[in-house]
Amino acid sequence: MSKKNVSIIVFPGSNCDRDLSVSIQKYLNVKVSYVWHNDSKIENYEMIFLPGGFSFGDYLRAGVIATKSPAIHEVIKYAKKGFPIIGICNGFQILTECNLLKGTLLKNNNQLFKCENTHLKVENKESIFSKNLKKKVVEFPIAHAQGNFYTTPDSLKELEDNNQIIFKYSSKNGNINKESNPNGSLNNIAGIINKKKNILGMMPHPERAVDKFGSQDGILFFKGLGELL
Amino acid sequence: MIYRIYISYKEGILDPEAEALKKTISNMGFKSMKNLSKGKYFDIEIIDSNKGLDEIRKISKDLLSNPVIENFKIIKK
Repeated sequence: MSKKNVSIIVFPGSNCDRDLSVSIQKYLNVKVSYVWHNDSKIENYEMIFLPGGFSFGDYLRAGVIATKSPAIHEVIKYAKKGFPIIGICNGFQILTECNLLKGTLLKNNNQLFKCENTHLKVENKESIFSKNLKKKVVEFPIAHAQGNFYTTPDSLKELEDNNQIIFKYSSKNGNINKESNPNGSLNNIAGIINKKKNILGMMPHPERAVDKFGSQDGILFFKGLGELL
Repeated sequence: MIYRIYISYKEGILDPEAEALKKTISNMGFKSMKNLSKGKYFDIEIIDSNKGLDEIRKISKDLLSNPVIENFKIIKK
C-alpha cells in the first residue's frame, strides 16, 4: 500500500463516506482517513474528498452549514496550495457554497428526487481528474433533489472559456439534449472544476459505479486519480 | 431589538415549490392570481444595537442568503 494519505471529511448527515472510502482504498491503494468536520487541523493529506449525503439535514440550503465547519477552513487552505479536492453530490454543493467553485445547485426543476443512472459526456479530457477516463461517455448514478446547476451568464461564459466544465448529462452516445438532463441543470452541466483546475465538484456518484451489478466506470475514475498521488 | 431578514429568489430563478403552489391555487378554483413567489424570513434579536446591525448584514450575506440566487432585505421590527 502506498504511503500517501487521502482524507474524507465527514459531516453530521454525510452518508457516502464509507462507499467512497471502499472505492479509494480498493482502486488507489492508499490509506484513507476520516476527518470529523469539527477537527481544525488536517495533516499530511495529498487529496481531500467531500462526500455525498445531507450534511446538517440540508437545513437552510444544501451544503451551506457545512461551510462553517472548522475542517472547511483547512480544506480552503489545502485548495489554495493546489492540492486536489473532490466534492461529490453534497460535497459539490458544499464547494459552491464556500465559493471554491462557481454557481450553485438549485432544486431539481421537475420536483423530483432523482435516483437513476446517468450518462455523462466527458467535456474536458485534459483535466487532472478526467484525463485517464479513456471513455467519451461514462455512466454514473445520481441521487439528489437539489442538483440543478445554475450560475450567472458571466460566470457560465468563464466556465466555458476556461474549459472548466468536465461532465455534462448526455445520451448513451454522448448527445447533449433536454431528454438526458435529469434536473434542469444549465447546459446539462453535471461537474465543473475551478479556474486553477485543482478542485472538482460533481453531482453523479462514481463511488456507486464500481460493482458488478451496475456500471463499473467509477473504477476508471478512481484509478485515473492514481497519478495525483 | 429585533431585526427581520427577508430572503427571496432573484428574478428568473426557478422555484419548483412556488410553481407547485401556483398549480394548486388554480386547482382550488381561484382565478385572480397572476403570479406567486415565496421567500422566508428570520427574526434575530440582538443585544448591542451599535454593532448589531453590521453583524446582521454580515450574517445575511455570509449565511442566510446565497448571492448567486437570492436577495435579502433587513427591517427593524
